Amino acid sequence: MKELGGTNGLSRRDFLRNGLVFGVGAQALASGYAAVPDVFARAVLSAKSAQVQNDKVLVMIQLGGGNDGLQTVIPIGSSQYRDFRPQLSAAAAKAQPINKDIGLHENLKGLKKLYDEGKVAIVQGVGYPKPSFSHFDSIRVWETADPDRRQQDGWLGAAIAKNYDSLGHPLVGCACGTTSVPGMLRDLQATLTVVDDAKTFGFQGGQNVENVMGTLYKSTPGIYGALFDTAMTTARDTVAQLRTSAAKYTPKGNYSDKVNLVYSSKNQLAAALQLAAELIVTGTGVKVLHVTLGGFDTHYTELNRHDSLMNYLDAAISAFQDDLSGYGMADRVMIATWSEFGRRPKENASGGTDHGTASPVFLIGEGVKGGVYGETPNLAKLDQGGNLSYSVDFRAVYQEILTSHLAVDAKELLGQSFDRVPFVKTQA
Amino acid sequence: MNEQPTTAKPAKTLRKTPLGIRRRHVLVGAGAAAGGLAITRALGLHHLGDLPTIALPGQTQSPAPTGVDWVSPLDKPEAQVAHLLRRATFGATPSEYEQSVKDGFKKTVDRLIETPIAEPPPLAGADDATQEKPIRPQELISWWLDWMLRSPTPFGERMTFFWHGHFTSDFRKVNLQTPYIYWQNLTWRRMALGNFYGMLYQVTIDPGMLRYLDLGTSTGRAPNENYSRELMELFTMGVGTFTEDDVRNGAKALAGWREPLTQAMYDAQVKRAMEQGRQVPKNLKVDDVKTGVFEQQRAYVGGVKFLGLVKQWDTKGVLEQILAQDAVAPFIVTKILREFVTDQPSDAYVKRLADGFRKSRYDVKSLMRDVFMSPEFLAPASYRALVKSPTELMVHMARALETPALAKAIGVAGQGMGQLLFDPPEVGGWPSNASWISSNNVLERVNFAQVTLTGMPKIPPFKDAHVTHLDGVVSPATAQLLNSSPDDATRWLILLASPEFQLK
Repeated sequence: MKELGGTNGLSRRDFLRNGLVFGVGAQALASGYAAVPDVFARAVLSAKSAQVQNDKVLVMIQLGGGNDGLQTVIPIGSSQYRDFRPQLSAAAAKAQPINKDIGLHENLKGLKKLYDEGKVAIVQGVGYPKPSFSHFDSIRVWETADPDRRQQDGWLGAAIAKNYDSLGHPLVGCACGTTSVPGMLRDLQATLTVVDDAKTFGFQGGQNVENVMGTLYKSTPGIYGALFDTAMTTARDTVAQLRTSAAKYTPKGNYSDKVNLVYSSKNQLAAALQLAAELIVTGTGVKVLHVTLGGFDTHYTELNRHDSLMNYLDAAISAFQDDLSGYGMADRVMIATWSEFGRRPKENASGGTDHGTASPVFLIGEGVKGGVYGETPNLAKLDQGGNLSYSVDFRAVYQEILTSHLAVDAKELLGQSFDRVPFVKTQA
Repeated sequence: MNEQPTTAKPAKTLRKTPLGIRRRHVLVGAGAAAGGLAITRALGLHHLGDLPTIALPGQTQSPAPTGVDWVSPLDKPEAQVAHLLRRATFGATPSEYEQSVKDGFKKTVDRLIETPIAEPPPLAGADDATQEKPIRPQELISWWLDWMLRSPTPFGERMTFFWHGHFTSDFRKVNLQTPYIYWQNLTWRRMALGNFYGMLYQVTIDPGMLRYLDLGTSTGRAPNENYSRELMELFTMGVGTFTEDDVRNGAKALAGWREPLTQAMYDAQVKRAMEQGRQVPKNLKVDDVKTGVFEQQRAYVGGVKFLGLVKQWDTKGVLEQILAQDAVAPFIVTKILREFVTDQPSDAYVKRLADGFRKSRYDVKSLMRDVFMSPEFLAPASYRALVKSPTELMVHMARALETPALAKAIGVAGQGMGQLLFDPPEVGGWPSNASWISSNNVLERVNFAQVTLTGMPKIPPFKDAHVTHLDGVVSPATAQLLNSSPDDATRWLILLASPEFQLK
């Protein structure tokens, strides 16, 4: 083998055009992607003057596939509900009433308990104008907070990039229980990491290999060079952080993934929330976390399937809340659920439901002002396509989270103001 | 190989990057770093668990997000061939590389495209899968990976993999108590280079697909919209090119199919019924086909308006009406170019190939020839413009190391990198290119290289692997580490874990 001579010469490609230079209005590749700044970029970031000082944390739970809101917050008082859903309406009799109109799904027992303690806000009828019935299109709308589909960055990625200083650690944002960056956190300038399984997150071959990789992934040329380099830097930082955290953490909630789910590879929700709790209670400085529960695209045999999803969601959230309370941190953390759309009121031939529109959002935490917000969906007044109309713009929910929970400028991120949905307790 | 630390050669020319950082800075940085390297401990060939401690330079030089690009070697014949093999196959073994270089680019394209696709050996027991004797997921995954590693027609395998990500189904929803997912893999391979219309028909009535997107339970009276929507949005036309009425009416027009019952499934149902003292359902019968079965009494009767035309439809008519839409050819071409050429194909490029695709009456083989023979395929901007998926990465590693026994290990490792075969994360298929890059995935990719090398009883000589697999085009950091590696095992680790090797 001949002696190697560097890069064989290096040429330039237009990086500005491709949006891969940090700090320059990244146009981003069409596919969308995310990266974390490397040491260099962090130095730039740390010069940021407007730092936000509050100790609140946000955990987004994605209900992937389009959660059936009418089987989650069930319109127990509606006769139309029974007419539309001869099979699925069996859930109404077993629901846990919130008031005369609505009840929580029977398997959301932990959530009902938290609701009775005033820690759960249910925002009814959340959606957006001219809704898309495509999973991917609607997911993108929710991720970017832009129904016009012009934005590339995720609303939380942008919130991180604009407001938080990484101060040399990678965990401002963290996606738990997944292998790639969720769209909500996507932003070239956001400092964040991705951990699929905390137990195996480490370098095989130990410190030596890790050091070599740190050298190997440096000043990598090409359009993906900065992405690779920053991903490696973040991986190394995360390994170090997890090592410290694991030593300090014992779960104080009963996390169990032993729930029989019919399908989906993305159902390690309890494990993902446990990692989220570990990062929160061990003081890593994490601000925004994202986890996903999949399997909500219930086009067929929905009754059993959705029942077990509710059960699983409830168990994972309950364990997480117990854990945070045990560590005395429940006042700092807010959970928000989201799903790309609800489902059609009328059930189909397969005992399931097709893609729909508005659905409820849950906000959970001690900082939440419990209760029901928005309007109970009106099954007597469906649109032309037989779908529900929305009563609360999803960006109004985002606005309240940003303004009242995280205390950052919502208008800068959302581009406009919305009527307040006051589900966050006012600070004394 | 020279085993002493050496200094990267200075570059011949300097060019300003957009950040105002000149190449000299980069290379001076690298040179200084290399000069600081020292091997403190030398070890045996393959004990990577004890990788020698390499004294690494401090973080003194981090000259900016790299405002520099790879120098494309695609003006050289052997680099052209290597580029083709990285993209049209799962990477070459050294002997395949040699043969293809001898043949040259054009002849290699001919061979890849024109050789009839070889069938894998059957997966034992899969045809007779039942509730009692399901296919084991790891066996199914290893079975396919093994064929990716061994197939004499690797381009056919690469295309099967492409269609697997395009016409998605997963073994969780379809489940493995039937042979459906296994059959689907065989069907996708047989149709991989055929006519797109024929493909769509096979996809629509594929038993796995009938279950995955619910067409198998849809009826004219209460249609299920799942397949109708994804057929247009994800498989053929793209979002925003059809209306919600098209989705609803398409669902009516397509209804009437059901899944087939195999002899083994029939026998198992009869046995279960007898054991539980139940009557065997009267209408239960074995279907002697490996496709869906159409039942006229479950279909929709009457005319509906679909994509602008009112009539009484049948499935073939629906597919023909879709293929008559202008959106189809550019949609498919864009997806193929993003997988085989560049993440951002220009409009003119897409249009040119889409016109050809339409003219060929949607012949996939001639489209793929147009793709590989297009000037854009070998343009400097296409060099290392794509990121290998985890499967491509790991199969290429195994082929580079000439270790075909890695199917099982690759199958297991794929999950941690976001690619468990037969289980795409969503109906939209696999992520692509930059979406593969995350802290988690970079770590997992490096770990796979490390674990694989550590587990090998004998590691092949490195020789010119950086030329065979990386065209000799490496970053200063990679060059520095290769030059300072004490043995071939370490050199292989650097090569397989390098950012260069993650790209194609």
